Amino acid sequence: MMSGTTPVIFTHDLMKSFGRVQALDGLNFNVEAGEIHGFLGPNGAGKSTTIRILLGLLRSDGGTVKVCGQDPWRDAVSLHKRLAYVPGDVELWPNLTGGETIDMMLQLRGQYNQRRRDTLIERFDLDPRKKNRTYSKGNRQKVALVAALASHVDLLLLDEPTAGLDPLMEVVFQEVIREEQREGRSVLLSSHILAQVEALSDQISIIRHGKIVESGTLSDLRHMTRTTVVVETDHPADSLATLPGVHNLRVEVSKTTFDVDGDTVPHLMPKLTSLGVRSLVAHPPTLEQLLMRHYGTATDGITAAGAGTSPSGNAPEQRQDTP
Amino acid sequence: MSSTLTTQRTTEHSPAQATLTGTGRLLRTMIRRDRVRTTAWVVGLGLLGFYFAHAIQVIAEDTSELVSLTVMFADPVGRMMVGPGYGMDAPTHERFFAAGYVLFLYLLCALMSIFTVVRHTRADEQAGRSDLVRATVVGRHAPLTAALILTVLANLAVGVLVFGGAVSAGYAFTGSMLVAAGGVATGVFFGGLGAVTAQLASSSRSASGFAGAVLGLAYVVRMAGDMAAPGGSSLSWFSPLAWAQQTAPYVVDRAWPLLPLVGGGVLLAACGFVLSTRRDVGSGILPTRLGRSSAHSFLGTPWGMAYRTLRGGLRGWGIALVLTAAMYGSFTQTMVDAGDDLPAEFSQIFAGQDMIAGYVAYMSLFLAVFVAAAGVNAMGHLRGEELSGRAELGVSTSMGRGMWLVAHLCVIVAGVFSMLVMIGLVMAATAVATMATPVDGLFTDAMVASVHQFPAVLAVLGVVAAFFGWLPRFAMPIGWLLVGCAGALSAFGPLLELPDAVLSLNVFGHLAGFPVEDITGTPVVALTAVGTLGIVLGLAGWRQRDIHNV
Repeated sequence: MMSGTTPVIFTHDLMKSFGRVQALDGLNFNVEAGEIHGFLGPNGAGKSTTIRILLGLLRSDGGTVKVCGQDPWRDAVSLHKRLAYVPGDVELWPNLTGGETIDMMLQLRGQYNQRRRDTLIERFDLDPRKKNRTYSKGNRQKVALVAALASHVDLLLLDEPTAGLDPLMEVVFQEVIREEQREGRSVLLSSHILAQVEALSDQISIIRHGKIVESGTLSDLRHMTRTTVVVETDHPADSLATLPGVHNLRVEVSKTTFDVDGDTVPHLMPKLTSLGVRSLVAHPPTLEQLLMRHYGTATDGITAAGAGTSPSGNAPEQRQDTP
Repeated sequence: MSSTLTTQRTTEHSPAQATLTGTGRLLRTMIRRDRVRTTAWVVGLGLLGFYFAHAIQVIAEDTSELVSLTVMFADPVGRMMVGPGYGMDAPTHERFFAAGYVLFLYLLCALMSIFTVVRHTRADEQAGRSDLVRATVVGRHAPLTAALILTVLANLAVGVLVFGGAVSAGYAFTGSMLVAAGGVATGVFFGGLGAVTAQLASSSRSASGFAGAVLGLAYVVRMAGDMAAPGGSSLSWFSPLAWAQQTAPYVVDRAWPLLPLVGGGVLLAACGFVLSTRRDVGSGILPTRLGRSSAHSFLGTPWGMAYRTLRGGLRGWGIALVLTAAMYGSFTQTMVDAGDDLPAEFSQIFAGQDMIAGYVAYMSLFLAVFVAAAGVNAMGHLRGEELSGRAELGVSTSMGRGMWLVAHLCVIVAGVFSMLVMIGLVMAATAVATMATPVDGLFTDAMVASVHQFPAVLAVLGVVAAFFGWLPRFAMPIGWLLVGCAGALSAFGPLLELPDAVLSLNVFGHLAGFPVEDITGTPVVALTAVGTLGIVLGLAGWRQRDIHNV
């Protein structure tokens, strides 16, 4: 993936502490031009701190950070003409309408596309005449998204952008982000839900305790993902337990449940077919399961039990398989 | 099957009772939630009543002093401000108390009631808390009923304290009872009004605003009605705010004007209950007004953004202060008339042999301290913008963080400056208009006296801005401390003969007391320098610090 061009976002050994809390502890990751980069991490891992340093709102304590080749702290103004930001928890000016807020943000940022603004408002099904104070969280999110997506910018910094959106609107969001990519824009998409990032990202970085613990394409990360499979077969499926990459096999009458490593799925399929599959359900892993498996704990904030409740509308069923 | 279900329900609760299920438990929760706020209102109002009742006896010790003071309440301008002025032809301390001061208690009772009802009904619905409550075993009418009971209880508590205050000052039992009951009845009426507006509007702001507008209208109607004739005119009877004072405590002592107040309150509350069944939870009877779908191009500039953010607060303060200036200005002639007979304490406060000059100097100073409060309040708004994350959203555009602060500070400075100009204009115009004999240069003097305070206001803003840049946590406490010192020392400093070191804490005390004294350049230059330097320092600090959102 490393090309000769300079990355849109470059960080090296980035440090930031708040009092005694070390929020970022030597963060290293790059976003190449034109890619959608999934920035995954549990709550409190340092995602928002990173994004706010990239915006020049916070000053890093150490390390290097470049956005579009510029220093985000020193060159904030010229840099902000080239990027748009959607915060995770959007607070808007209560006395403005949604439409006024969108226009204000677009005009303050610089160049924007009026037609794109109008179509986006329509596609996100937003009434721009309502006062911000009457909007739900999801509608405030839409205002911030339209204000960001209708700008002529090179880079989009989206901090948990779909947190308040319903599943239908999330589909619209994914379409729009793909259009943005076709226009040549780069996107940094932060989330704590693997499924949301998986659908869009070319590259994924996983942050934990202020450090990147994994980085690569989705297939690079296959070795980390373990799919949960529930299968009903004509013949007993006990023999599957001997296959490499199969874990936690349990048999209940005709129903068999097991986990399989992402990169060994191809070897599994012929064996399954020979057993006579009547039904098959496969659940992708959640970020929390993934972190649990590889690092013992998900994070300081999320317990194994907490990992079971995912706020995503299309999140898969959750299972606990802690040894 | 269905018939057994119905019988079961009717044996448990009749439908009328069922809509009130849980009222008692809700009331206890509301009292617990309000234990500080409502207690503060009640105790505050009680103390105010106690203070009013006793202060008159200190200000005017005997009847002759009292007679000289009655001009303030007995002439048309006085009646316009404080009420119908019953018994001012033969003033006693208790009559003076009832004629001059209780209207303010009634106004505050009305506000307390509106806020309490709206806070526990519409505000809870707006925040989504009432969904949680209604999902439990709670009847449809229980929240409004509990809120109204709480309001009545709070008003009764105020009534007991006010009655106690009046009786402890040695005032007659019946009259004191009527003064207290007038407050309770006024509170009940406006609580009922709040119950109606909470059904009409879908936001708590609009609900309180709507009820507040009715209260304001009632005040204006009462002003015109009471001004027309001593004891009020027929117009007075169109204002519910005027009814309580028509009991004429300590003079006629009649209770029947309280009946329409209580009856009206009950009727309004009943309307509230009926209206509440005609709407969904969370929505209002009135449709929410839609605004512009696109922005005026001015809004898309840093100045436009800052202006729209700060406009509401500054406008509110501005309107209140300009109205106060109009009131003070129109009192000028009254002050001159009373001047010769006023107790020595008064002339000491007004700092001069020339009554008019002293009055103008004092009022400009007093109003300018409030202008500084408006400025500090606006700075608090800025801090709120930072903490809510809206500043972050603004700074993430290409305006830059320096521009963000410059634009907002410019709006605040321009706002307080135009407030001083407006106050000066209105005070000068009303003073000139009400003077029996024209006074040379009064208009210019009043105008200049107000604008002359600008360097002191700027200095306060500068200090707050410097703290905002470097130690944002301390910006607001320091700002309010400066305003508090200025207010207290301007009002009482001359009477207390405090050491110069303490007096110098009063930012406003450094300026010359124009028009009594001539304007001197040094404090004007020094205060302007402090203000400018503070703003520059604040900008430097803001440029180098993290923007917080927690």
